[in-house]
Amino acid sequence: MGIKALIILVFFFYFVNLEARPISYSGGYTLMMESNTMQDSTYYHYSPSYKYSLGIQYIKDKYFNSNYSYLRLTYLLNRRNTKNSQRNLYFQSGLSSDGLDHYFYGTHGDWETRRLYAGFGYKKTMMETLDYIEQYLQVGVAPYIGEYGDLHTWLMLKSKKNDLTSNWDTYPVLKFFKGNALVEFGYSDTSNWDIHLMYRF
Amino acid sequence: MKKFNCVFLMLLSISAAAQDHAMHDMEGHDHEGHLHDTMVDGKLLVVNPERFDSFVSTLEGKQVAIISVSGMVCDFCARGIEKTFLKDKTVLKVDVDLSGGKVLIAYNPDKKINFEEIQRKILSNGQNATDIQIIKI
Repeated sequence: MGIKALIILVFFFYFVNLEARPISYSGGYTLMMESNTMQDSTYYHYSPSYKYSLGIQYIKDKYFNSNYSYLRLTYLLNRRNTKNSQRNLYFQSGLSSDGLDHYFYGTHGDWETRRLYAGFGYKKTMMETLDYIEQYLQVGVAPYIGEYGDLHTWLMLKSKKNDLTSNWDTYPVLKFFKGNALVEFGYSDTSNWDIHLMYRF
Repeated sequence: MKKFNCVFLMLLSISAAAQDHAMHDMEGHDHEGHLHDTMVDGKLLVVNPERFDSFVSTLEGKQVAIISVSGMVCDFCARGIEKTFLKDKTVLKVDVDLSGGKVLIAYNPDKKINFEEIQRKILSNGQNATDIQIIKI
């Protein structure tokens, strides 16, 4: 493998969507990476069942200028499958390597057809000196309906708020996935790049 | 009365021909181009004809289970289902028709296909198998 290909591969793996499909199929492993103005993170999880996943997330926290890890649990609270849609509600939590005073919990959910997507998330992080909340809303539409194995594309709009920074920030997001890989990137004037990547094994 | 008998005979022959066609389809043979008309176990077989023909092209003499699946809305769901079934050594081939919400699974003709087992496998991936049709190629 050439250096150029290796660089592309490393770049591709560096950014992952932490919210998309937080639980794999039974026995599946998932690597996720994320980069935004607040943090860079790498998250690897295993799903013993489609109902929950356990994993480790390494975070390079740009806001607090520190590095730590979370032991994470995501649990599927509710799922409704219909012929053309799926709706999910998840509970998520994480315990930091910094100690018992640093942890998070929250929920996120989504509803998806092959054409439309809507999702939300709420996460409260407790630290020894500070607590803060992160929230987001996201909607999307697929401009075309791809078949199994095709490149799938989503045009999305994301709105997020972090107590530590400012008000709601709304920006466009592009999401592509093909095979086992997913890449998503958005850009806003205030928070700059918001890039995610996921690979499922 | 003659007219009535004539109409009755015509209806009877149409019905017999339709039944024969259905039986013919259940046996398999060449489905190219008319799968949308095929009845299996009294139910219309709704699959993408081109996809189905491509899938069965190398499966002469085998049997194919066509599973209706709900909640299969993206490639990740489909990929998980494919991986789950390919772990089963009795499965010869798997294909997913995302648009139609179908999973096609090929088995040897002597395999006794158990829908409950298939439902369990689909559920382990987070979707629901709602129906099955088995067709001999």
